[in-house]
Amino acid sequence: MTGDIVSVTVPSHPRYLCVIRDITARMADICGMDQATVDQVKLAVDEACSNVIKHAYKGDTTKTFSVIFRIREKEFEVVIDDSGPKADLSCLRGRDLDDIRPGGLGVHFIKRVFDSFAFDKRKRTGNRLRLIKRLDRGNEDHHNQ
Amino acid sequence: MKIIITSNSGHDVLAISGEVDMDTSPELRTHLLEFIHKRTPLLLIDFREVSYIDSSGIATFVEGLKGMMVYGGKLKFVAIPEKIGEIFSFAKLDRVFEIYGSIEDALHR
Repeated sequence: MTGDIVSVTVPSHPRYLCVIRDITARMADICGMDQATVDQVKLAVDEACSNVIKHAYKGDTTKTFSVIFRIREKEFEVVIDDSGPKADLSCLRGRDLDDIRPGGLGVHFIKRVFDSFAFDKRKRTGNRLRLIKRLDRGNEDHHNQ
Repeated sequence: MKIIITSNSGHDVLAISGEVDMDTSPELRTHLLEFIHKRTPLLLIDFREVSYIDSSGIATFVEGLKGMMVYGGKLKFVAIPEKIGEIFSFAKLDRVFEIYGSIEDALHR
């Protein structure tokens, strides 16, 4: 299992977010995460992909983006690649949770479950968001039986 | 996501089932704006069959709540499943929205 990679490319239409969510949940489950964590990871990846559609593509549903899942010995990595203009980081800062207004929650959902959240500056065109979650590998036995 | 609108004791109930996400929340928003346009005094949202909500779904409800507050309307949430409630709680919205265990509770408090 360690080193396994699963990748998917989907159109930038919100109707395909459910596909990403289903794959994300399965991958998190394979990593041995408990159900609450699986749910948090699923929401976080969904939010990151929603941001691609909303911010990178400005709602253009004719593009595509890719999501690559990697299971490593001690971490679960999700890389999201798009071909939009470079992300405006101010869009991804999130609002103060005490400031009750629509929007600005997605980044909080990402940061609460992933240990690392960063754009790969080496990517010349488009954006590459890399999310990393450290794994507690004590729970994976049931997947290997 | 499916939305069914019914009435209970003369009050509108909007029952949602399935996933509320960036794809489906615009339909939810349309319904909420119709209730706001009609100045509905009390709208109950039945979450019993909601399996997922993301930030766009939450944003839609925040917008709906603010729209109803303008004219003194009330938006009450009913029967929120635990994993959906956890999301509201993390976002500190469980203290902004009125949340009840059942429609009966929401109508009598």
